[in-house]
Formats: sequence, C-alpha cells, structure tokens
Amino acid sequence: MKLRKTLTLPSRAALLGSAFVMAGLPAIAGGDLIWARYGDIDSLDPHRATSTLSMQVWDQIYDTLLAFDEDGVARPNLAASWEVSEDGLSYTFSLQEGVLCHDGSAFGAEDVKFTIDRAFGDNPSLTRTSWGPITGVEVVDDLTVTVTLESTFGAFLPFLADSFSSIVCASNAEAEGFGTRSAIGTGPFKLVSWVQGDEVVLERNGDYRNFGKPVENAGPVHLDRLIVRTIPEPQTRLAALRTGEAHIAEPPFDDIPDILAGDELNLVVAENTGQNVFWQYTVSRAPFDDIRARQAVAHATDPEMAIEIVYGGTNQREWCPIAAGVFGNDQEFCAQYGYPYDPDRARELLAEMGYGPGNPLETTMYVWTGGNRHILAEIFQAQLADVGIRASIEIMDIGTMNARVREDNERTDTTAPGTFNMMTWGWYDPDILFALWHGGGAYAGYQSDELDAMLELTRELTDEAARLEAVQDVIRYLMTNAIHVGLYTPGWEWIFALRPEVEGFKVGAFLHPMFQDVRLTD
Amino acid sequence: MLRFIVQRLFAAAITIWIATIAVTLLIHLVPGDPVRIMYAGFQTTEAEIEAIRARLGLDQPVWRQYFMYLGRVLQGDLGHSIVGNQPVLDTLLQRFPATLALTVSALVIAVVVGGSLGFFAAYKRGTAWDFGAMTLAIVGVSMPHFWLGLLLLFLFSMTLGWLPVGGSGWRNLILPALTLGLATGAVIARLTRSAMIDIFDQDFVRTAHAKGLPKTLVLYRHALRSGLVPVVSMLGLQFAYLMGGAIVIENVFAWNGVGRLAIQAVFARDYPLIQGFILFFATVVALVSVVIDVTYALLDPRIRYGT
Repeated sequence: MKLRKTLTLPSRAALLGSAFVMAGLPAIAGGDLIWARYGDIDSLDPHRATSTLSMQVWDQIYDTLLAFDEDGVARPNLAASWEVSEDGLSYTFSLQEGVLCHDGSAFGAEDVKFTIDRAFGDNPSLTRTSWGPITGVEVVDDLTVTVTLESTFGAFLPFLADSFSSIVCASNAEAEGFGTRSAIGTGPFKLVSWVQGDEVVLERNGDYRNFGKPVENAGPVHLDRLIVRTIPEPQTRLAALRTGEAHIAEPPFDDIPDILAGDELNLVVAENTGQNVFWQYTVSRAPFDDIRARQAVAHATDPEMAIEIVYGGTNQREWCPIAAGVFGNDQEFCAQYGYPYDPDRARELLAEMGYGPGNPLETTMYVWTGGNRHILAEIFQAQLADVGIRASIEIMDIGTMNARVREDNERTDTTAPGTFNMMTWGWYDPDILFALWHGGGAYAGYQSDELDAMLELTRELTDEAARLEAVQDVIRYLMTNAIHVGLYTPGWEWIFALRPEVEGFKVGAFLHPMFQDVRLTD
Repeated sequence: MLRFIVQRLFAAAITIWIATIAVTLLIHLVPGDPVRIMYAGFQTTEAEIEAIRARLGLDQPVWRQYFMYLGRVLQGDLGHSIVGNQPVLDTLLQRFPATLALTVSALVIAVVVGGSLGFFAAYKRGTAWDFGAMTLAIVGVSMPHFWLGLLLLFLFSMTLGWLPVGGSGWRNLILPALTLGLATGAVIARLTRSAMIDIFDQDFVRTAHAKGLPKTLVLYRHALRSGLVPVVSMLGLQFAYLMGGAIVIENVFAWNGVGRLAIQAVFARDYPLIQGFILFFATVVALVSVVIDVTYALLDPRIRYGT
C-alpha cells in the first residue's frame, strides 16, 4: 500500500512521514485515534457478517492462523508452521507459544477447534463454503491442531489469512452476548464497547504480538484506543477530519482533487484490494446467447478512457477476470485474450449478426449505485451507441443488481432482449471464479461441463505451478468465450484521508487496514 | 370529551392498521426476489434460501402473510433484523430516545423562532421588516434540510469551531436540532403571520386598544394568545414533518436515532427492520397527533363540539 504517483508527486505521506523524523518532531506514544467510516459493522462475530466494514474491525480484535504479506501471499502468523499430509487431505498446524486471548486465557489448539467447529455448527458461518470441505478438527496437543478435508482444496491456506477465518477464542462460549457485547480474540485491540450504528471503542492489547502481518512493530500498538465511528454523510466525515474530530476517514470522492491540492490532509489509496469490475451477460437468450454480441460490447467499450475521465489515476485497467494481486492474475497473459477498444471490429460482429444502421441491437445495461458509476455508464452508453448498440441504463443497489442478474438468467417466459451488467466482486483467491461460474454459479449464468471440470481442478490442485496453469486455463476459457470480461480495478473507492499527525497507517493486501505502526505526532 | 378521545384513538388505529397492510405489501413491490436481495453476498444454498423464505412466511399467500404479520405485531413481535439478527422492536426502542430528543428540541426551536418571526412580521405588516422576515421564511421552507445542515456545519463547526461535527452527547444535539428546527420554524413563521394578521383586525383587539390598555399587553395577552391557537393545531402535522426530517438530519450529523437506523436498514436491504421502522414511525406519529388533538381540544372547546 502506498500513495499513487498520479495522485501526488512524489508520495506526499511518505515525504511528510520522513519530514517529521528529520525535523525531530515527537511521535508520541498513546492517544486515541478516531477512524470515521461511512457505515457500521454488522456484527463482532466473524461468522455472522460478510461486509468489508465488519472485516476491517475484526482485523483489529482477532488474528488469523496465516497472514497476507504485502503482495497478498499467505504467510505464517498464529500458525508458526504446518505440515500437509501426502494425500493433501490433512493439515497439521503448530501454533505460536505464549499468545494470550484478551481475557488472559492462553491461546492454543482448542481455540482453533472452537472456531472451526463453530463455523460448521448449528448456526454456521455465512462464509463456511470458503473454509473448504473440512470434515474434522483434532487437537493433537495444546499447540498442535490437525484439520482434515474431504478432498484437496487449493484455496484453503489463503482463506486462513482472511478475516473470515479470524480465530475466536474458546472463552467466548461463556461470554455473554458474543458478537454484540463481547468479542474475545488475540488481535492488537480489545473490545471496550459497541454502540450499534454509532461507534466501536477498542483499547490497546498490551499482550499483543505480531508474527506475520507486514508491519514493523512486533509488539503492542502505540495507540491507547482506536475509536471506529460511523459518520454516513461524506461531507460531514470530511468536516470531522478537518476539525480534528476524526483522524482517518474516507473522503467524498469529488473532494479528492481539493484534498490533493491542499496541504491539510494526506491520502492513502489501498492497493491489491482484490476487487475488480467486469462485464457479464444474460446468456440464456438473445442477443447475448451469441458470443458475437458479447464480444461486440467488449470491443465497443473503452474502459481505459472511461476510468481516466471518471476516476483520474485512482483506478486501473484490468484485463483479467480476477483482480491484480490475486494468485493467477497476469496482465500480459490476460491481455492476449482480451478485447481491446476496437469499434470497427464491434461493427463487423454486429453486421454478421444482422444488426446495422437502422437496426440497432437493443439491450439494457445494469450498473450499481455510487462511486460516480453513473457517469461511467453514460460514457459506455455513448460508445455503444457509436457502433449501433442502443443500451438503456438501469442503476440499482448492488443487492438488487445481484438478484436481478440471476433472475434475468433464469427467466424463460420472455422474449425481451437479454441484459448485460457491470458486476463487481472482491476476493483474495481465484476460487472466486468457482463461486461465480461453477454450474452456472452465483448468477445462474453461463454453464458448460467443460468449464465446470476446469473450475473443479482449480480447487483440487494444491501444487502452486499446477494450480496456476489450471487457473489460467479457466481465465482463457472465460475470456475467449466473452463470459467474464475484466474492466477495471479496484472498482470501489478505498481511499483514506489522514490528518497530518497520523503516522504509520497502512492498508495491507485485500483491504486490511493496519494500526500496529500508527502513532499520533504531537 | 371521552367520545372525542375515543374517536381520535379510533382514527389513529385505522392509520396504524393501514400501515400494517403497507408494510406487508412492501416486500412484494421490490423488483427481484426479496430473499435473494436480502441475502446478497452471503453464501446461501438453494435449500437455505427456501428455508429463509419459509421462516419469513414468504412462501405463503399474501393474505396469510398479512395475518401472520398482524398476529406477531399484536404480540409486540416485529421480527428480527437480517443484519445482526436483533429483535426489531428492541433495536427501535433503543434508538428512539435520541430521535425524540432531537424532534422535541427542534419543535421548541421551531415554535420559538418561527412564532417570534411570524409575530414580528405581522406586527410590521407591509414594511420592509415584514418583507425581509417572510423572504427568510420562504428560503427556510424551500431549502432542503440536508443543505441547511451542511451550511450550519460549515459555519459553526468548520469556520467558527464552536460546535462538534457529529456524534452523541448534548453538544452534538445543537446543530441537528437547529437545522430541523429552523426549517420547521419557517413554516410556523408563515402560519403565525397570517394568523396574527387576522387577529390584529379583530374587534376585540381594537376594543382592547380603545380601552387604553398598554400596547404590549394587547399584543402579548390578547392578540398572541388567540393567534397561536391555529398554530398549535398544526403542531401534530409539524411533528410528523420533523420525524420525517429527522431521517435525513440524523444521517448528516451522525445522530444515532431511528431515522439513521432506517437509512442503514435501507442500504443493508434489511426488510424486517425497514418494515418495523415504517410501522413504528406511523404509530408514533399517529399517537402524537392524538395527544396534540386532545390538548388542543382542551384548550379550545369549540374543537370537540365541531367534531
């Protein structure tokens, strides 16, 4: 995570950070840092929510067996090491010694078993399928635990670095109101209180030790407290930042140029967020049951130009169906099978299908609300019109769009033209492609036995090189068939504005904000 | 009087009953499958989707869904929220005191500021003062709450640094209450002005002047008291208006009331919470209207005779 050169030349935060050190300005230990965000967490229980806002708070309370390094590769963390059985079906983890849960109990194998058993229990985790085909967890000794799988699962280790696999201490079983009033983990902060809709107050965990997070500080955090406050209105958030009522906040998108032009605040743009935006189509009926129509849309639209106009330098062109930083993402590889802006080629494809001047291809483009995406959609609409595709735009919230896309694919009782949509997902592993496309996937969309078999292979293979090949086979298939056409990344705006007194704030790969190195300067 | 109260309570009950029908139908008016929309992003299997549909009663005919919902509501059960799985009624009651504090403070500001401005404009009728006061009132009526809030925030928090930007606590209440109160006060100013102009032309005011009573006594004891009667009658309506305004204002100032909860529920597509909020909101507005109507009837006996 670093500041983008296109935002500020050179990286202003880095310069300011070093300027404080050079000028000898004191970076004081302690203090309360207020982090203002647009929304609240949904739950303190990592098994009961899926929002990024929730995950980012879990990161502060809990820790994970593995941790992503700066490049998004899973490394040892609470698990000091592990061994995989020859058949790839059992993983034995050796845990770090001397780690304490927030209630003072010793962290160990029982806590790992408690977490996994709970994720598959009567009220299972909302993301349990991401844990993989786990059949059992066995405590070997206090610091050794074995997890057994039904079949090999290539995305198992990366999942153990994600917040959804946060280790919940077994002592939570006796705690009253786990998930709302209590949350015991081994993370850098302890829960003090959560006033729903308002704020989460966390205090320094004096026993915290960092093993695998990409930060400099291996011990407890420098701050006394971290207060995560909900301020939904963007202008109010910015005002809170300017008046000093908040130290870190997501600024309103339209104010970013002003922030960059001024000296008052610094910006940090999250990289390797795992998110990307792509075209997908209703393939169950005309016109997008014909590959030429799908390819025509892809050739007729120029994401590079559109994102430059709307987002300046804060988003990048993404050729792959998985985001930059995710295993298997390779721009050069994906670009070979991509659809460069080529309106003439789009017109040719449309002409082959019988469309032309006076007989445009009629369709509807779905876009989800926010982030100035309506402007992006209008640019695409104009580009499509230029080649003879008349696309009306429907803007809706992301949940509605998810449901509408699936419904469109499942409808058989209509002759209305199929739609296409600008869809988005964020994940830390190419396993997302399995969720999106296996057996028609999350949207009951494109389905073929060939693709299903290829996707199954990406799950089963655990050897890195073999898995990479399998993932790239899937990518090639999705792109050459114009099923899933990458547009840009990250897609959602994860830009943090910081007051100048905040030093050491980092956003790790896949949107994990880290406060271990943060100090407030006097 | 008892008959009047019963009539008013009956009217309120009908309003609440209509709200129960509206919230039952709400879920069916949403484009797309409501269960899939609610659980978008969760790893739910087809079997689980069906189980959720059954749990929410969405697999039943609409009329049965309605009676099931009504039955639960009569037992005080508004269901559980999707996000966080909390009892909806408890969540609403937890947040309601903050909204009540905001709306009552705003109402006081509205009556004091709006009433004074209207009275002053009527007293200075036809002068530049009148014109100026009414221009201010029109600006107040026309300006969106949201925009006024941001302007006050810019002035009092960012420029002058007198008040905090947002959050909980009494100092945080001032700006949202002022925003909501000033906007509503503009409506009250216009009402007061027209009411006072009527009163100033009445015979009893002229008589009071003719008797040689001091001007201030005529204005405040005779004219103002009578002039405020129609204004008080509008307070019920204004309260509903304030509750509606609170939805936006709580969001602007991060005031943790039911209005903000409603916005969060909408963004989270949390239908049980949205349904609960609408019903709760309708009930509060209906009951407050009854209280205001009854108070008004006690103050002015002509009202209950007229019903």
